[in-house]
Amino acid sequence: MSNATLDGKSISSEDAYEKAAEILQAANFPLVAGLGADVAGAQAAILLAERLRGAFDHLASRDSLADLEVVRSAGIFVTTPNEARVRADLVLLVGPGLTGYWPAIFDRLALDKETVHGGKTKRRVLWVGAKRGEAKIEGVEVETIPATEAELPGVLAALRARVGGRPVTLPAAAAKKLDAAAEALKSARFGVAVWSAAGLDSLMVEMLQGMITELNATTRFTGVPIGGRGNATGVLQTSAWMTGFPPRTGFGRGYPEHDTWRFEASRLVESGEADAALWISAYSGEAPPWEDVDIPLITLGPPGSAPKHGLFIAVGKPGENYDAVEFAQETSSMVLRRASAPAGLPTVAEAIAAISAKFSEDLPC
Amino acid sequence: MLTRLYGGHVVDPVNGVDGVGDLYFEDGRIVAPPEGRSADVEHDVSGHIVMAGAIDIHSHIAGGGVNTARLLLPEAHRAHRPRPANTPLSTAGWSTFETGRLYAQMGYTTVIEPAVSPHHALHAHLELADIPIIDKGFLTVLGNEDFLLSAFRDGATQDSVVDYIGATLEATRAIGVKCVNAGGVDAFKQNIRHFSLDDVVPEYGLSSREIFQTLQRAVNATKIRHPLHLHMNNLGLPGNVETALATIDSAQGLPLHLAHVQFYAYGTEGKNGFSSAAARFAEKINANKNVTVDVGQVMFADIVTISSDVMKQFNSLPGGRPKKGVIFDGDSNGLGVVPYSYRVSDFFNAVQWAAGLELFLLVDDPMQVFFTTDHPNGAPFTTYPEVFALLMSADKRAQYCSRLPADVLELTNLPALKREYSFYEIATMTRAAPRKLYGFEDRGQLGAGSVADIAVYKPQKDKAAMFRSAAYVFKDGNLVVRDGKVSHYTKGRTLRVRPEYDRKINSRLDKYYDGLYGLPRSMFEVQDAALPNADAFAEVPCRS
Repeated sequence: MSNATLDGKSISSEDAYEKAAEILQAANFPLVAGLGADVAGAQAAILLAERLRGAFDHLASRDSLADLEVVRSAGIFVTTPNEARVRADLVLLVGPGLTGYWPAIFDRLALDKETVHGGKTKRRVLWVGAKRGEAKIEGVEVETIPATEAELPGVLAALRARVGGRPVTLPAAAAKKLDAAAEALKSARFGVAVWSAAGLDSLMVEMLQGMITELNATTRFTGVPIGGRGNATGVLQTSAWMTGFPPRTGFGRGYPEHDTWRFEASRLVESGEADAALWISAYSGEAPPWEDVDIPLITLGPPGSAPKHGLFIAVGKPGENYDAVEFAQETSSMVLRRASAPAGLPTVAEAIAAISAKFSEDLPC
Repeated sequence: MLTRLYGGHVVDPVNGVDGVGDLYFEDGRIVAPPEGRSADVEHDVSGHIVMAGAIDIHSHIAGGGVNTARLLLPEAHRAHRPRPANTPLSTAGWSTFETGRLYAQMGYTTVIEPAVSPHHALHAHLELADIPIIDKGFLTVLGNEDFLLSAFRDGATQDSVVDYIGATLEATRAIGVKCVNAGGVDAFKQNIRHFSLDDVVPEYGLSSREIFQTLQRAVNATKIRHPLHLHMNNLGLPGNVETALATIDSAQGLPLHLAHVQFYAYGTEGKNGFSSAAARFAEKINANKNVTVDVGQVMFADIVTISSDVMKQFNSLPGGRPKKGVIFDGDSNGLGVVPYSYRVSDFFNAVQWAAGLELFLLVDDPMQVFFTTDHPNGAPFTTYPEVFALLMSADKRAQYCSRLPADVLELTNLPALKREYSFYEIATMTRAAPRKLYGFEDRGQLGAGSVADIAVYKPQKDKAAMFRSAAYVFKDGNLVVRDGKVSHYTKGRTLRVRPEYDRKINSRLDKYYDGLYGLPRSMFEVQDAALPNADAFAEVPCRS
């Protein structure tokens, strides 16, 4: 059985690659998006975008950029989950739904265990803005600072103000609770805040990091960001060394230009600026975010994720169906994931190479 | 295919050659003039200077630090030229691709990245693999990790430390060992903000001096050629020359490389309490032949500092230009990235600039002092040609000095130094000396058997222009640069060492990782399946 379909009907792989090459080469400004791929897949995709003088974006760019905007406007303190695991005597969890973004979070940070370095002590765990019923971790006494999603920015700002000894206009009971939390943060030896930009926005991350900067005036405090889905951090890193820039970068003028608004995938498609799209979502088969737009579309995804319309080519899941390098949340580093269930499916890089092999010769390499 | 370069002035200090002669190469290697055969290709390089490809011993070109800097400073590297055909990503402002291209155009063919945390080795290798043309390698950073500090504290045998170093070099595929602010990076995690040679790391009871000395002996005992590459304590601080002098006194008569020493050549004289102490420092270096140094020259430019000395980087944050930065407490390691701008009108920056040149000019033996800017910390590597020109011309230095704040000139000896480097000395510093420092047997010279990495320059009055645009560069015998432009892209090798060690250490390390991190150690190993070109590695031999 072929692993490719056109408008839901099976076609041969050869025909699929041929057709994909036709679509991309005919476009004036093709978009390479999704980019849910391993490092080798991302490299192939970015090179393809450059060759076609198109643009590229990642499906979780919004989340990567929420953190990155803070890095490049103010700076950031970060550490690794390993270092938090062995050293963090206080862990500040920020925002709701953290286990959704990182299922192994509590186990990996060993919140129920004593610290190993910098002194052996029980950890304090604070959670600001947990969902109702969420702040329960086995073997851990979690101190909560309540905040709904709407209240979270204000509560973070108030907490930062109290850490810095600045006044806040809050009811006495709420202020007292915040003061106690601020005191806990300041008395930590090596405090670690954990957040997922997917659940916050740039201003909240900046507020949190501003507080961390102030805490470092007297003690040590840092953070563990939870990266975006679909190897967002790995693709961000790859994009940076290849082009100097993160995703949302275009090559239309013959050199890389980065603009978080101009090269956002949905906007490019919905405005009609992009006239063909290669959508890559090898980890999950997640569908493109744009709606009701009839654009020539090629999808690379795992078997079974074919959309009703357009061309679909099945690829393996990175690290599951084939050996793949990706950014690991548990180590904050690039790692090799050995295939746990090898399958006779092309890798993302192989699929892109097969498409590229069908381009006519007048396209520069 | 036999190639002959004829009529050029060959400058090859390893072989004592400094005169007009021909050079032959075939199949990527330099060969003796063959008898009874004529060359298939000939290049008339008469009137040109012919040297081996240059070797950069310390330049931050790949890995998490550099990539963080790229992401931190999108404003610093906008691209501005459309891409020529057939050269993918040749127009990105600050990319792996650009790194290889720009180095090659200056006649550099081997570059060593000096600071990769063992747990981020794979990332660094992925970037290195993406840098075209040049050969490269990296130093792995040890000396702040619990495993080693615990071993030192518990009086582990040197053999077991040698095994640990061997296992780490194997897992990371590195070319040598660097130590950064020995113990200070760990101490910073315990909220210590200043850490000098005799300060003690809490929990381990070890001074910085003990840590680097024990590590220095162990690195020597591994028989890898490159000595311990040390980033000392107190980088950048007024009066830190005392730390540097004391470090040299502690070097045990064993080989030791001190990195970017310009940043340690500071006294406390003058009304700002900051002066050049390069003369004292140079005298000490001249008297201690077991020590080598690289300068880390500062040039007046916008730069970004990238350093594993996270304590120093944290202390630099308030002075950042622009004021932003990344402070990373890594696994038994650290990293700080803080942008900066060296200004000719800034008293401190001008002293730094002068101190670096003083070191170049006052260290007698160009085999002992290495040419670096600690790219990008002191200056981008693209400023090398200008630095060569400064070394070769007292007049050019006088021009620069005329722009410095007047009070700076009173606190440095630079205007009095009239030494001018010759081509032979430049070749010694950038070819022969790096060959010895890393134990390369196949490069850094033009004798038969060496790789045909060759740089040919057309002499000009403007020495910077000469070194900026090599007339010809051959990499492994392939013509890759013509008239200062890359004409052909090749893939270089990654150089590594593989010392002998007792593999029993591996099961100990496996247990340690499992116990401390609850993760398999193999997650941090660089494996063939992770690399786009696993066959690109070449081994640098150890001492027998």
